[in-house]
Amino acid sequence: MLNPIDDLMERLARGMAQRVSRRHFIGGVGALLFGGGAVPLLPVARGESRSPAQGSATDPGDPRTCEYWRHCAIDGFLCSCCGGSTHSCPPGTEASAVTWLGTCHNPADGHDYIVSYNDCCGKSECGRCLCNRNEDDKPLYVPGKSNDYNWCAGSQVGIAYHCSTARIIGLAK
Amino acid sequence: MRGRICRGVGFVLVCACTVTPVLAQPPALTPAVQANYMLHCMGCHVADGSGAPGKVPSLRDTLVPLAMSTAGRRFLVQVPGASQSSLSDLELAQVLGWMVRNLSARSVPTDFADFTAAEVARYRRYPLVDVRGTRARLLAAAAAGFGTMSGTGSSVRR
Repeated sequence: MLNPIDDLMERLARGMAQRVSRRHFIGGVGALLFGGGAVPLLPVARGESRSPAQGSATDPGDPRTCEYWRHCAIDGFLCSCCGGSTHSCPPGTEASAVTWLGTCHNPADGHDYIVSYNDCCGKSECGRCLCNRNEDDKPLYVPGKSNDYNWCAGSQVGIAYHCSTARIIGLAK
Repeated sequence: MRGRICRGVGFVLVCACTVTPVLAQPPALTPAVQANYMLHCMGCHVADGSGAPGKVPSLRDTLVPLAMSTAGRRFLVQVPGASQSSLSDLELAQVLGWMVRNLSARSVPTDFADFTAAEVARYRRYPLVDVRGTRARLLAAAAAGFGTMSGTGSSVRR
């Protein structure tokens, strides 16, 4: 069963030993290791790393600012500044299923999107990028339209609030 | 020389992969009745109606038995999240019917009647005092086979 594999590997090893010098081999491996490490430092890669701050043609703006269009009804710390993103919680936290929802207008395409501001729970407050836009929020005596709740109370990991995401879950119009 | 060309081509391919823009496709337009559920109910009852264990009751097994009795239908309209929402009577009637048809783990009986704006208007003005107690009584009655019971619940006539 293993003989054909042994034969193949032996042929490959012998062939390489005949064609490639040891110095050449070691040099090649070294170049590969150094070259691979240098790829993230190339100007092209750095240009790509800036793109989240500028957004894209269909999703403009910096998700790490309160002015970003999806944050029209947010109240809390941005997970984008806390090791997560607009749609994912930072490590060590868990998204609360119970959440505040609203619609936000995307200036790029003119559509109103349904945004779910799922809180990430289970760790103390992130403390970075606090935003309180809460557009169209109503006082607590209009409970269905009020955002003055700790939505982590509905999570299974406790009421400790860390940060808020802004997930697009639908297209209103 | 050929080796250098190959390495060059490989380098270009790697760089091209790193700068390929990611263009998000906008989702399909959400039907208005579903959007109303999302904006007025889903925050607590979550996308599939299962709620949060121990905190928000699941709708998945209770919508059908409640929607098949007069008292149950009145309860569904009168629960605070429904009756106090900013939805119009017609919108609330449509959302309730959508919920019964789309969030129930149980099959919907063929004789299920959609809610109407007039029905919602008739029940909505009377607040429900004891939500949990009324729900428990109605579900117990439904389980016992009194599917068409028309008890008064515990609503208060203002």
